[in-house]
Amino acid sequence: MHVHATIDPQDTVNQDAFLDGLWKQNPVFVQVLGTCPTLAVTNSVSNALAMGAATLFVLVCSNVLISLVRKLVPKQVRIATYILIIATFVTVVDYVIKAASITVYKALGPFIALIVVNCIILGRAEAYASRNPVGRSALDGLGMGIGFIIALLCLGGVREILGAGTFLGYPLFGPGYQPWVLFLLPPGGFFTLGAWLLAFNAWKRRKEKTA
Amino acid sequence: MNPRADLPPSGRLIRLMAVVSLLCGVIIVAAHKTTLEPIRRNQAAISRENVALLLPGASRQIAYGLTPAGEIEILTGDPAGREHFLAVYDQAGSLRGIVWEAAERGYADLIRGMFAYDPEGQKVTGFRAVELKETPGLGDKIGTDPGFLANFRALDARLNQVGDGLANAIRAVKHGTKKNEWEIDAVSGATVSSRAVGRMLDRSARRWTPVIQRHLDRVRKGH
Repeated sequence: MHVHATIDPQDTVNQDAFLDGLWKQNPVFVQVLGTCPTLAVTNSVSNALAMGAATLFVLVCSNVLISLVRKLVPKQVRIATYILIIATFVTVVDYVIKAASITVYKALGPFIALIVVNCIILGRAEAYASRNPVGRSALDGLGMGIGFIIALLCLGGVREILGAGTFLGYPLFGPGYQPWVLFLLPPGGFFTLGAWLLAFNAWKRRKEKTA
Repeated sequence: MNPRADLPPSGRLIRLMAVVSLLCGVIIVAAHKTTLEPIRRNQAAISRENVALLLPGASRQIAYGLTPAGEIEILTGDPAGREHFLAVYDQAGSLRGIVWEAAERGYADLIRGMFAYDPEGQKVTGFRAVELKETPGLGDKIGTDPGFLANFRALDARLNQVGDGLANAIRAVKHGTKKNEWEIDAVSGATVSSRAVGRMLDRSARRWTPVIQRHLDRVRKGH
């Protein structure tokens, strides 16, 4: 007996909504969005992780709420409504981080509040959540958020290892290691992001040639 | 064709924005209420931790504020938001020292610090950076550099003859040029941040040391 396995096109769409943000449409490495926090808070892995988790939370929650109200909001007031919703979840995440760890809160400084103007979030609200159902919008937020975390960790990992000789605070090279402090400073952020973009584009070009 | 034909009525737009604002307001208030207590606990724990590091053996502390007449009064409840100093006592109830917080603009942002003061010897005996966003690897050394922190083991903060200010202005001097006990030897490569700490201490010591010395008997007894 033959069983024909059929792929539900709905599943493929949902899968794409999630996977695109992770790699193919990675917000930092492909769309080059949200570079302000990407450069500013990736001087350690823990900061990168905290900022990534905060952005992921805001992305998912704002995508869900915006998708829920998308049919009620006329286009004339959509941007104002989206900003209001995004700012609400940023305020929530600000309180939550402060309650969870004052140390992390202090390390992230003003960049928590600046999530409101992170163009990844408004971009996904306008381009995806305002046109798609709740489930798919949540998956899109989740994919983009995890993609953002991956990018921040790529930068934070390199910068902390080279700039402090540690990973998540644990020393890697022993007492003889002379840290490359430049990588913890703003120029180090630009160098590292540039190097990652170079590597990403080289990989994409090679893939296009072999295809 | 009328360009306003597809424009929704203003009343509907306003009502919609009001409903969305109300919903957002409810979410924010709920988050605030839920996290208020943990945030207070965290801040109090950080403050206690800093006091314990500045004055080992601390067992009890009393927050003193100032009345409009310039007298001291015990602050009950959370003293945050009111100008105050902390009198710290050991288990036997003896005064271990005084701690106050101060802030000053540094190289990158506001530096917030906590100072310990020995009222008997009229010396500053410790410094902790409570909030610091100075350049990593350079300016942020003011919070960790052992040489810099050693400045605050017994920094001269004597009152002048009249008792209304410091006998000598406290200031940070270039690394390696410290000559007097009221000077702070700056961290090499972090002179701006070090000077900010000097200004912060000078200003706050001028503010608090005359008050503390004037009311020292009361503070010793914890009244």
